[in-house]
Amino acid sequence: MKKLLTVILMSLALFSCGKKAEKEVHVFNWSEYIPDEILKQFEKETGIKVVYTTYDSNEAMYAKLKVLDGAGYDVTFPSTYYIKKMSDEGLISKIDKSKLTNYKELDPALLNQPFDPDNSYSVPFMWGTTGIGVNAKYIDPSSVTKWKDLWKPEYKGKLMLQNDVREVFHMALTALGYSGNSTDEKQIEQAYEELKKLMPSVRLFNSDSPKVPFLNEEVYIGMLWGGEAFRAQKVNPDIKFIYPEEGVALWADSLVIPSKAKNPENAMIFIDFLIRPDISAKISDSVGYMSPVVSSKEYLDNETKNSRIIFPTKEDLRNAEFQLNVGQAITIYQKYWEKLKSGK
Amino acid sequence: MKERNLFQIVTIGIIAIWLVIFALIPNIMVFAVSFMERSEESFIKAAFTFENYRAFFSSMYFSIFAASFKMAFITTLICLVIGYPFAFILARSGSRFKSLLALFVIIPYWTSALIRTYAIKVILTTNGLINTFLIKAGVISEPLNMLYTQGAVVLGLVYTLLPFMILPLYAAIDKLDTRYIEASQDLGASRLQTLAYVIIPITVPGIVAGCLLVFLPSLGLFYIPDILGGAKNILIGNLIRDQFLNSRNWPFGAAASNILTIVMAFMLFAYYKSVRAINRRVL
Repeated sequence: MKKLLTVILMSLALFSCGKKAEKEVHVFNWSEYIPDEILKQFEKETGIKVVYTTYDSNEAMYAKLKVLDGAGYDVTFPSTYYIKKMSDEGLISKIDKSKLTNYKELDPALLNQPFDPDNSYSVPFMWGTTGIGVNAKYIDPSSVTKWKDLWKPEYKGKLMLQNDVREVFHMALTALGYSGNSTDEKQIEQAYEELKKLMPSVRLFNSDSPKVPFLNEEVYIGMLWGGEAFRAQKVNPDIKFIYPEEGVALWADSLVIPSKAKNPENAMIFIDFLIRPDISAKISDSVGYMSPVVSSKEYLDNETKNSRIIFPTKEDLRNAEFQLNVGQAITIYQKYWEKLKSGK
Repeated sequence: MKERNLFQIVTIGIIAIWLVIFALIPNIMVFAVSFMERSEESFIKAAFTFENYRAFFSSMYFSIFAASFKMAFITTLICLVIGYPFAFILARSGSRFKSLLALFVIIPYWTSALIRTYAIKVILTTNGLINTFLIKAGVISEPLNMLYTQGAVVLGLVYTLLPFMILPLYAAIDKLDTRYIEASQDLGASRLQTLAYVIIPITVPGIVAGCLLVFLPSLGLFYIPDILGGAKNILIGNLIRDQFLNSRNWPFGAAASNILTIVMAFMLFAYYKSVRAINRRVL
């Protein structure tokens, strides 16, 4: 027995080899959200090594941080509707804005939002829209003006939806004239009934790289993020982006520091770097989303500067609505989402 | 002698620790969580309820279960029809050729299953290899819709799981005593009769083992319906993942996963019983 115990202890010791401290910052980010050159430039300028990990949904990121109780990463990028939840639960720590030299460059219109008044916990990173993508080679873009148009029978088998319960229901609720953040089961059920009618048209659900089915011409029309449409246009100019009349869904991702981050100082340096006008512009050029840094505009490519996808007009953003946290109602959404996909 | 004892203790000890940490404890946790309640703040709330199991027996989840079983059944059947002749040829071929064929079965496993699934996508897509070839050859004028269909999902599952069918079948057929076949032919049985009344009955344990090794994993490979089926259907594996990640309903996800484990345990038990019955009959 004693022998066995020694063996157990010996093998446990194998797992707990010590690691040397080094200047690094652990970044947990959406996939395809910061180009590699930017990370290399950061390492070169500051000498801080970036350890980079990616996720494909807020849910996945939240679940991981929650299980680790706010440890493991130094910077992460939740969307608006997760910031309140994470700060309420003590998963993210307060940010000393006076240490961010570039904070003053941020667009005041995007600051002090209800999910984080006074931006004590979060600094905007990028924002964007979810609208309709159309391949002009097969569908006349002027014939598509609203979400309701997706229900036209002629798009059978050529339509794509996001593989994200909130995004899809946001779209259907908006098309019905309700708030995309509804917590009323009746409205959500009604949206489900509408989506059920849409199912025969749906070729696929995709959220990790929604531009690809468009570029492969698997689908001709569907829900698309602005940035994805912008990048798709660079390959195939026929892909157009439409701001639906009922209102686009808006989202914004912010930089936060998890509460038990090991390198919070390096995280601050990283955040300050990402909101530097020239850097933010480079990211915007590359990923196609809107930078919250006002003065970044002068650093942008002409193509980006003149794109209505990146700079929507006031008219485009009429009725636009930010996605908010729906709390316990997420289980109602999930229930109808499963119903929708199981064909019941 | 002493050293050997130490060696035994070390190896068994490591395996035991491994199993306790990575199999026993997680399973006990999943079992316990399945009787608790969902909590918005901390995933689970200590309570004791059968609600999660009761909820599973609604018509919607039942149809998800049924659809998963149907998909797994079709996959198993196709694997068996392709795998049996292949395993037979493999077992009966000359020794040099044999190792080459076996190598062909194993080589794809040197690449990650996820990457191989994406490779199938490249082949099936609208402007992918097959469509481009068929259009160039003038066979079709419009590209075929092959990707994001049930057929694509079955293809992906069969491709991924076929070796699990071939290897146990190969083991069973390889052991087959050729004298049985000769005796059967001497007694005037046709080739088909020999196959139906001699070869197949003796290799039943291999058939059942192969079927289980294909059937059980195909219930859980959630990324194949996601990538090749366009995430249009929820199968049992996707359901469990979504409960944990999206709706953060850990108790329900745990209950669903326990039900799946129980169903699988029943099937393994049936296998064990059938093999014993067959061994008694044949030998």
